[in-house]
Amino acid sequence: MAELLQFVITGIAVGLVYSLIALGFVMVWKSSGVANLAQGQLLLLFAWFSYSMLAQTGFPIWVGLILVFIFSLVVGWLMERVILRPLIAQPILSLITVTLGVAFVIQGLASILWPQGLAALPRIFPQETIHIGTAVVSHEYLWAAAISLALFAFLSIYFKYNRTGIVMRATADDQKAVQACGIPVTRIFSRSWMLACALAATGGVLMASIGGVTFGLVDTGMRSFSVVILGGLDSFLGAMVAGPIIGLAQTVGGGYLTPLTWPGVNEVIPFIIIIIVMFIKPYGLFGEERIERI
Amino acid sequence: MDLPAGIRNFSYARDMAIFRTKTHWFLLALLMTALFTAPLYLANYWLGVSNLIMIIIIAATGLNILTGYCGQLSIGHAGFMAVGAYTSVILSGRFDVPFLIGLLCGGIAAGLVGMLFGISSLRVKGFYLAISTLAAQFIILWVISHWTGVTGGTMGLAVSPAQIAGLTFRSQGSKFYLILVIAVIVIYLAKNLVRTRTGRAFVAIRDNDLAAEVMGVNPFRYKLLAFFIGCFFAGIAGALFASWTGFISSESFPFTNSILYVGMIIIGGLGTTIGPIFGVIFVQSLDEFVRHVSPTLVSAFPNLSSGFTVGIAPLLFGLAIILFLIFEPRGLAHRWALFKASYRLWPFSY
Repeated sequence: MAELLQFVITGIAVGLVYSLIALGFVMVWKSSGVANLAQGQLLLLFAWFSYSMLAQTGFPIWVGLILVFIFSLVVGWLMERVILRPLIAQPILSLITVTLGVAFVIQGLASILWPQGLAALPRIFPQETIHIGTAVVSHEYLWAAAISLALFAFLSIYFKYNRTGIVMRATADDQKAVQACGIPVTRIFSRSWMLACALAATGGVLMASIGGVTFGLVDTGMRSFSVVILGGLDSFLGAMVAGPIIGLAQTVGGGYLTPLTWPGVNEVIPFIIIIIVMFIKPYGLFGEERIERI
Repeated sequence: MDLPAGIRNFSYARDMAIFRTKTHWFLLALLMTALFTAPLYLANYWLGVSNLIMIIIIAATGLNILTGYCGQLSIGHAGFMAVGAYTSVILSGRFDVPFLIGLLCGGIAAGLVGMLFGISSLRVKGFYLAISTLAAQFIILWVISHWTGVTGGTMGLAVSPAQIAGLTFRSQGSKFYLILVIAVIVIYLAKNLVRTRTGRAFVAIRDNDLAAEVMGVNPFRYKLLAFFIGCFFAGIAGALFASWTGFISSESFPFTNSILYVGMIIIGGLGTTIGPIFGVIFVQSLDEFVRHVSPTLVSAFPNLSSGFTVGIAPLLFGLAIILFLIFEPRGLAHRWALFKASYRLWPFSY
């Protein structure tokens, strides 16, 4: 019973970070119809960059984090402007594979710029652990959960009341109508990429402060795809709900299934969930089912 | 069509032939002679390189049928290769099944696993399908690395050299012939497959699956068939890879390879038979180039990062994929067609 509580708390916390990463994905998908498979590599890039800023150059933490934030906006803008804008109106196959190309480039860059391959971020959060009932939780997990929830709340308000946020939703709904209203759609694409990269940066820093900067972050990004699939590709709420579900399945399922099956079962649980969702409810919990016409 | 002036066909068989003029036959004979005498003048190292290239060509041809012709993106192709490799190795290693039958069984096993994961393609497409094949890759690799009793896990399995009718394929040269013959058969099959009803049904599904269904093409059946054929070739390639390296482990078929194969058929040109061949040769030559040049670069510029040799190859592949998608989405095959057209029409190529 004691371990169950432990599993539940870490599962929800990690799951909320997955949600955050998935939100970045959903944002790009909704507004521009691009499936960003480089999400994991973006996490890796931002985690390494924050390592550079915080540990290697030794900026104070808040300066470093602001620099990481600015860097993520620049990367998002560049991604959209240089790589995806020439591919507007290309088939979905090209849009998916170009992000695979980006993934390769980032992976190559990461091994060239940070050859050590493994590093620990300096401590951003307090070191002592917190006892909740019988569970022992480190500060990172709770902060990760809190920051994810706060960002989700912020984004909900942003999309509801802010002008740009409303335009982004409108773009997701009907690009031509938005353009007819005199709003440059490409600028909205670029904004949503910047926002998505900022979310990836947050996720990257949070995951790296939990587990260190490793290539494992790429797999974290891959696992967050299961969040997207389970929640529905075009649903923010879906991403937010599915994240903790996946996190719980991973920690609770992994915790209890490992003795029964093989070690490392928690690594594949998200992928097994993907396959199950595909068979039962392919558009996810909250996703909109597309009806096609010829 | 692409024929010089003055060539007329008087029967459908002649009209449908792949090789139609004497020049075609001459060039084919020349190419085949060059290929089949290659072990005489190529060094052992380069024979190994060409063996790997041909194995990947087989896998990429399968992926091209699935992705290029049928439009079902698979980013788990290395996983399906692994299924074929392990099936054939276990069959011939444990149960003394003859190599060729093991090879076929490897292909069939990979095809069946591919079909299993392809079932979701009936209801979803595009990104959903990509993710489901990605999940397939990770699940397959996880099973392989943990089912140690059968697969040897990360410790891997040693593979005994292939034997066909008393011949043992041990040296790079003999393996070259084995792989070359199979690669030629696979390319010939692929070329002809896409000209049959099946192949045209694939293209119809790729271009608009709803319209194809209305026209009487059963999408479920043909999508599954495309998954089976594509993964069958992947399984064959995996089995050949196993017998070529002599050792397989769960790390022989990484996820990056799956992405690389997609990149190869994009660089080569989706939906053409020649495309995967060009793409594989391009990417593998780039790989060889990097492997030979980067140590020189590192010694010439000592202040280069120590991760340079590791990172430069993926960096260049990624750039190649991006640049091809932006500037030449139809790939090298399109350039080749342009070249052929201008050659044929020279000097009046306007």
